[in-house]
Amino acid sequence: MRSVYAVPGILLSLMFVTLLAACAGGGKGGFNLQNVDINQLVQNVKGLREVPEPEEIQIGDGVTETLLGARPLQDDVELQRYVNVVGLWVARQSERPNLPWHFAVNDSDYINAFATPGGNIVITKGMIRVLHNESELAGVLGHEVSHVVRKHHLNAMRKNAAFGLLMQGVQAGSKNQDLVNALAAPTKELYARGLDKSDEFEADRMGVIIAARAGYDPWGLPSALQTLAGVNPDDTYVKLLFKTHPAPSARLEKLAVALGTNFDSVTGGPQSTDQFLRITDRIRIVAAK
Amino acid sequence: MKHELWRWLAPALFLMSGAAAAETGYTLQQTDLKAKPFLDADTRTKLPEKTELEIVLRQGPWMQVKTKNKQLGYVRMLQLRLGSTPTAKDSNGWVSVLGPGTSSPRPSSTTVTMTGGVRGFSEEELQASKPNKAEYDKMKTFAATPDQANSHAAEVKLTARAVPYYGEDGKPLKDQGAKK
Repeated sequence: MRSVYAVPGILLSLMFVTLLAACAGGGKGGFNLQNVDINQLVQNVKGLREVPEPEEIQIGDGVTETLLGARPLQDDVELQRYVNVVGLWVARQSERPNLPWHFAVNDSDYINAFATPGGNIVITKGMIRVLHNESELAGVLGHEVSHVVRKHHLNAMRKNAAFGLLMQGVQAGSKNQDLVNALAAPTKELYARGLDKSDEFEADRMGVIIAARAGYDPWGLPSALQTLAGVNPDDTYVKLLFKTHPAPSARLEKLAVALGTNFDSVTGGPQSTDQFLRITDRIRIVAAK
Repeated sequence: MKHELWRWLAPALFLMSGAAAAETGYTLQQTDLKAKPFLDADTRTKLPEKTELEIVLRQGPWMQVKTKNKQLGYVRMLQLRLGSTPTAKDSNGWVSVLGPGTSSPRPSSTTVTMTGGVRGFSEEELQASKPNKAEYDKMKTFAATPDQANSHAAEVKLTARAVPYYGEDGKPLKDQGAKK
């Protein structure tokens, strides 16, 4: 499934540059372009081109370094490997099965999950802690995989004017620390602001289906959202998640319409509770004061 | 080993935090309590809006629930919200952010003590991030192969199937179709 948003963006930008150039041509009524850097605009337009997959992966790797800079990996090899086999099984049912998919659990008690361009998914320990079984995990990962399939983050980053310049660095092909550092600011801006709500609703609809294709009980994601809908929205544990996503209750209402009752026929498939609980047992041990 | 220590400490910590609380929920609107998890199953009773229920188990789009007078039955998952009813949500009516099986929900202002303290991922912590190549390189070492993913699927009896995407209106999307 290729992005359908790039072409109109490029056309609009080209039209804009053409318009500016016409104005600069000295026509009466045109405005003064002395302070406008045409080269900069052209570079930005170039940045709106379709991003080849290798570049997308490089961008995603840089984004991931910044996400893991905020909170490192959970120190639990068995858990990391488990999330990778579940995640890869789910991702291989998507339209981009051959991306270099990587899944990571970070050492954060806060509830959240992040997708980066190119197939890196980071899920917090806190998110796994509130899940009941593997079908819920598959649903959450399916939601994140859907963001990658639809290139939601990549397209959002491309709307950032400065990103066009960054793309020139990626195009040069050498993955270096300068590029990673340059990606840090747009990464922080995007992951603190979040995607458009429509992207989140779409990822919900697709995530349910991708988990269902993987053979799971497709109601895992709705079940996870139902848990989140009961969490106090003022709780610091969900503050960033709730800021960057539509309210879980709104997401459930949208899913209720999209799935309806005709989707009952797709029901079935294991929730795989026992293995999930065994492997996630260690991170569930908490104590109240 | 740290993990081994936790296995010994776990029961004591659960005692400290109180008995594991049963999950509760409430109806969003008047809802049928069905005898079985099917739309055409017998209706045992009609549950009024905001009826508080105990969640027994999850089964696809259904939840098996128990009413306050111990009546068992099934309601549609999306007809329920977890936690206490909005009017009862004072300091302790929310779902625990510490997950099922932990102590009953706590006031959000209370500090929860965990080993090493709470590890956040707030907007401020995101803004303060410095790219961490070492963790990125480590993440790559955990990658699964397709064979490993397939083995896991076989182990938990997952079978891939073709399912189409659905649009916002609940209609199958023909153009995106089912992955074969």
